[in-house]
Amino acid sequence: MPGFDFSNYNRNAALHAQGVPLPKATSTGTTIVGCMFDGGVVIAADTRATSGPIVADKNCEKLHYIAPQIWCAGAGTAADTEFTTAIISSNLELHALSTGRKPRVVTCMTMLKQHLFRYQGHIGAYLVVAGVDPTGVGLYTVHAHGSTDKLPYVTMGSGSLAAMAIFETQWKQKMTREEAIKLASDAIQAGIFNDLGSGSNVDVCVITEEKASLMRNYIRPNQREVKQKDYKFKRGTTAVLNEKVITREEISKYVTVHELSSDDDVVVVEKMDIDA
Amino acid sequence: MSLRFVPSSAHSTTTTNTSSTTTKGAPSAPGLHDTLRSSLTSTSSNGTPAPVSTHPLESRLAQWQATQESLKMNMLRRNFGIAEPVRRGMEAKICKEGEWRPACLGGSANVGGEVLAGRDTEISWEDVYRGDESREATDFHTEMEGKVGMERW
Repeated sequence: MPGFDFSNYNRNAALHAQGVPLPKATSTGTTIVGCMFDGGVVIAADTRATSGPIVADKNCEKLHYIAPQIWCAGAGTAADTEFTTAIISSNLELHALSTGRKPRVVTCMTMLKQHLFRYQGHIGAYLVVAGVDPTGVGLYTVHAHGSTDKLPYVTMGSGSLAAMAIFETQWKQKMTREEAIKLASDAIQAGIFNDLGSGSNVDVCVITEEKASLMRNYIRPNQREVKQKDYKFKRGTTAVLNEKVITREEISKYVTVHELSSDDDVVVVEKMDIDA
Repeated sequence: MSLRFVPSSAHSTTTTNTSSTTTKGAPSAPGLHDTLRSSLTSTSSNGTPAPVSTHPLESRLAQWQATQESLKMNMLRRNFGIAEPVRRGMEAKICKEGEWRPACLGGSANVGGEVLAGRDTEISWEDVYRGDESREATDFHTEMEGKVGMERW
């Protein structure tokens, strides 16, 4: 069956009816923000990916490319945000090629909300869409059920309340680029430090009329300290109990042995990294 | 003649894995859908894939395109009269009949049909996840037998 596969749904419902507990809904955690300034827009995100109570990735990327001048920050189910932005990016590119114009931010927002509405919130993508097009600067939020907002500053994810507190107290009209970057990264840091679902570093993307510049790990407030001790074992720590030497003549009774010259076909063995 | 733009929330509350259609089932068990020869999902009598679950989203997605199409045609009918949707339906039918290409040669891209439906600049999950990755393409003879309806003879 093309597209989404529902073939396990009836089985799961029958199992549930027999008393097998349903899997618990996963609570997702993220802080993403967006903020307009004079001549452009800035979006920022934290870099923590969680899987229940476990930090799955300490430095994941939540800012997604849609078009050269349109970028998207995603909260919710990581795979859903990534694949939704990817398919809308492809659709927008096809649309731009068909019309022969630069893609508009509203077009992208409309495509996203229509796509997500069709799936009735089963695709758990909560997005902040930002970009600059010939009609001006655009900044929108799109919820998983298809509702959208258009505001001069937006926050989303579990850290949205902490981040919104920063915006509500410090935002002002007609900010410069530097002020907006500072405000957005301060809002993300509020999420990083006050929300358990958000953490690690701050990613920032600044979009102006000329270009979009992604600043990966713009602020790194949670660098890992060097360990005071290391646990490397000296050679010879483990005693050799016995030793057996197998000659080539012996082993070639069972397997074919090839001589490798040192310069040409050297076998590359993958080296194992050992934690220092 | 409704102007629905999303399918109605009514969805099937039962599913069946035995086919009640005229299509020939598996040789050893004629009542059962032949999963190995045809697809994993059985087809209902009107040719559309039968729902495999009672999930409300499945029937919604299955009816989505037809609902959008009927809305468009109804609006065209109200604006321009019956001639417009009839002309478009005929164009689509002509296009569909000229588009066939055997599945062993990759199947039809259906460019003409997509242009007429206004979907030529769209890509969806169904285009990316075709659902036939693990299945061998049906051979030409089986496809031809199905196309001319030989299983009903």
